[in-house]
Amino acid sequence: MAATRRLQKELGDIRNSGLKSFRDIQVDETNILTWQGLIVPENPPYNKGAFKIEINFPAEYPFKPPKINFKTKIYHPNIDEKGQVCLPIISAENWKPATKTDQVIQALVALVNEPEPEHPLRADLAEEYLKDKKKFSKNAEEYTKKHSEKRPAD
Amino acid sequence: MDTNSEESPGFYQLSITVECAHLRLNSFLKPNPYVEITVDEQTPRKTDIVKNTTQPKWNETFTLLVTPHSKINLSVLDKKNFRKDSVCGEKKVDLFQLLTYFNGKCDNLELTLDLINENKPSESPTKVGELMCFLKGLNVDVSNYTRPGGSTPLTQSNSDSSNNSRSVFNGIKAKVRSTGTENVVPSSSRRSNQLTTSQSTNSIPNVNGRPPRPAPEVPNQPRRSIDSSNSLTNNNTENSSIGPPATVPNGNTVQSDAEENRNEDPLPPGWDLRFDTYGRRYYVDHNTRSTSWERPQPLPAGWEMRKDNRGRVYYVDHNTRTTTWQRPNTERLQHYQQWQGQRQHIVQQGNQRFLYGQAQNGSVAGPSTVADEDDGSGPLPSGWERRVQPEGRVYFVNHKNRTTQWEDPRTQGQEISNDLDELPLPAGWEIRFTDDNKRYFVDHNTKTTTFDDPRPGAPKGPKGMYGVPRAYERSFKWKISQFRFLCQSNAVPSHMKIQVSRQTLFEDSFHTIMRLPAYELRRRVYIIFKGEEGLDYGGVSREWFFLVSHEALNPMYCLFEYANKNNYSLQINPASYVNPEHLTYFKFIGRFIAMALYHGRFIYSGFTMPFYKRMLGKKLVMKDIESIDPEFYNSLVWLKENNIDDCGLELYYSVDFEVLGQVVHHELKKNGDKERVDEENKEEYLTLMTEWRMTRGIEQQTQAFLDGFNEVVPIEWLKYFDERELELLLCGMQEIDVEDWQKHTIYRHYQRSSKPVIWFWQFVKQSDNEKRARLLQFVTGTCRVPVGGFAELMGSNGPQRFCIEKVGKDSWLPRSHTCFNRLDLPPYKSYEQLVEKLTYAIEETDTFGQE
Repeated sequence: MAATRRLQKELGDIRNSGLKSFRDIQVDETNILTWQGLIVPENPPYNKGAFKIEINFPAEYPFKPPKINFKTKIYHPNIDEKGQVCLPIISAENWKPATKTDQVIQALVALVNEPEPEHPLRADLAEEYLKDKKKFSKNAEEYTKKHSEKRPAD
Repeated sequence: MDTNSEESPGFYQLSITVECAHLRLNSFLKPNPYVEITVDEQTPRKTDIVKNTTQPKWNETFTLLVTPHSKINLSVLDKKNFRKDSVCGEKKVDLFQLLTYFNGKCDNLELTLDLINENKPSESPTKVGELMCFLKGLNVDVSNYTRPGGSTPLTQSNSDSSNNSRSVFNGIKAKVRSTGTENVVPSSSRRSNQLTTSQSTNSIPNVNGRPPRPAPEVPNQPRRSIDSSNSLTNNNTENSSIGPPATVPNGNTVQSDAEENRNEDPLPPGWDLRFDTYGRRYYVDHNTRSTSWERPQPLPAGWEMRKDNRGRVYYVDHNTRTTTWQRPNTERLQHYQQWQGQRQHIVQQGNQRFLYGQAQNGSVAGPSTVADEDDGSGPLPSGWERRVQPEGRVYFVNHKNRTTQWEDPRTQGQEISNDLDELPLPAGWEIRFTDDNKRYFVDHNTKTTTFDDPRPGAPKGPKGMYGVPRAYERSFKWKISQFRFLCQSNAVPSHMKIQVSRQTLFEDSFHTIMRLPAYELRRRVYIIFKGEEGLDYGGVSREWFFLVSHEALNPMYCLFEYANKNNYSLQINPASYVNPEHLTYFKFIGRFIAMALYHGRFIYSGFTMPFYKRMLGKKLVMKDIESIDPEFYNSLVWLKENNIDDCGLELYYSVDFEVLGQVVHHELKKNGDKERVDEENKEEYLTLMTEWRMTRGIEQQTQAFLDGFNEVVPIEWLKYFDERELELLLCGMQEIDVEDWQKHTIYRHYQRSSKPVIWFWQFVKQSDNEKRARLLQFVTGTCRVPVGGFAELMGSNGPQRFCIEKVGKDSWLPRSHTCFNRLDLPPYKSYEQLVEKLTYAIEETDTFGQE
């Protein structure tokens, strides 16, 4: 596959870099176009858990950007109930073939840590975030405790 | 045997026979009634249509899957040929009420339903007739069920089981039909899930006659919607052992929640759930020997899977009595419905198209306005008649060969010379012709000759390649007349009859056109719609061209698709191979399109600009990709504009794409897998990529199309035209509503009141229709306006209004971005400058005009 060499290299680099915020990367040997991994945020209220995501690369990668989906439910203004997330770096207008998955993940982790209520996917949560941050944090924390994955030990 | 054991708990089979109806309608025409049965808002089942009667008899039996709380809605509809079918009357049957009334038994039960019409909200519902049905085979222990909402069930008032019809409740009469030999069995002690039914309708297909009804689906929890555009099947059938799919389709989730199992529909017959070595679920379709990550949706009601005599799987839709090669899913059915919805506009649209003919009412007279036919152009040639359409448009009937046309026969084909010949030559001048019939001018005053027309307003300047002034050759009218001349001088006498039925229009047309030798397709087309009287004086064949071209887009044929999601232009569908005969169909469409051009008829929807360029044998360039795949294009541009060394692209001379869930690998050159792309060789790479992107998966189909086309019209005849003119020629122009256009235009870095914007609209208003169409085409990629007007203009990512953006300096030419319907209009200093630059940009088709 045309994208294989690029993705293998990117995968190797990411694994070697030992990111704390993105771990347990699982890739099926027969299909390098799908990655799974665990987002481990540092900021409250999401630092009570971890979130599984899936990255899907199109066959035309890197001419077309990857798509990211949350497999773990999360209470977040920029991530909707279906796990879809709107990340500018992989949007049609901004995508560049030189953009690395590593950068994409960094951008995603940053978005999880610092929600951007100005560009919400869930308007209700964005409103709560802006109007009553305390309430939002409480709700998000409870939600995280209830639904998120266990954080890795170290 | 307990036939119920395999079904989901809570579901029972109920056999319903729709017998007959007595309708009392106030309408002048008799209806064409049929009955739709809907259980709990599931997909309706339909009876046949009985034509032209108020006393229809159907006697059709359906097996329904119901719960004791099901609501069965029976509605009698009137089949309309050209409009949406209308509801004559309907009645909802609450099964639980019925069951409680008859002690849990709906067996041998005769129902007479009052049909109520609630169509007109202003009036109170009226009874419009009665519908007779017969229920059989349902036996439930109602004591196991409680009424939802806690309301008390109606109890049977007495134990009278006589055959007198009894009004059970609001508009439903029911009685137990005596079965002769069998007595009515007391039902109270029956086990609830036992079914006393002799039904065999869902397992034994009919051998002869009508196609068997497909096995009823188990109506169940809401179906999971398909969330990606991927097909269900994954055709890696080469391996004898069926393994998991080679790729995970985009956006597809591989779920392993055990919870999910319970809520899912059962797998369709022939499908199997398996787990791969990673414990992920995948699905094997033994029918087609393919695999998929995606759980197959059961076939919608009324659909059936079959195999042809070569063992190929296809799907029958008994609702519409059509077949398709691709397994239907929600998305495809949605596309289909959308496509069907266009149907009612087609004929109307066809009547709005024109090329050159009458001056349009109310349009501003432009340079190309043709003289009005009432102004004393002299009498019509013998055998001709001038007529007026109801909407006021003039057309001409030729009684000699029984054709009609928009063009005035007195001026047709010579619009150009006519325009000019009306002007007198200056005194002392004369027109003469050379031996090879080239026109020249003699000036007796100076005793000189020249090829340049001395009249004011005549195009001057150097001659173009056809020996007339270049400015002329740019004129679309001149080009059309040249093309028409070629057609007329190569015409084949007599006519060709094509008999088609409206129900099987595409197939009938396909067979007739492919059976005839290609040259015969140049005979005058004479269309007969079966069962419809009417001579084809041109109007019928005009309709036929329009209908067949729309039919070719039927998503169920998988032949064409819209270029990026919401563009109306068509391109060949790389997945067309699901239809094993697709190449013959493309050849047919090639022949058909050539016929449309040859006979001067229009088609419903045009192709993408790159497709026209391909027809004209023009080289496709990178910019052409933008209109069909802007994302891909942007990435190529990035590679072109940036130094690609040292940014870890890991690109080689090879590339992949996905079609029907299968990844197709391609080497751009020999051993391309081993050759790396770098700054040095990237130009070559980009050229090869462009070539590949524009042809991937559609090369054979394009060739088949061109072969078919060439048989009827030599492709060289098109040499006069560029790709944009080819679209105008094929689709015709339509009156463009400038007010609507202006109203739905947005601006970026300009205001409504900015000078260039005001000038722009002044220019549009002063242009004739051709120029407007070309301007629109320049910006949006097509000369057609959506049915709903400019408010419904689409871009590559959905609705996208016409947009004028301030870009650049006044020395620049305007540019366009067809996928965003955007015009980059530099801030010109004067109206004249704007007109000059804009005219230049829309008349030059070479890509510098667009970027």
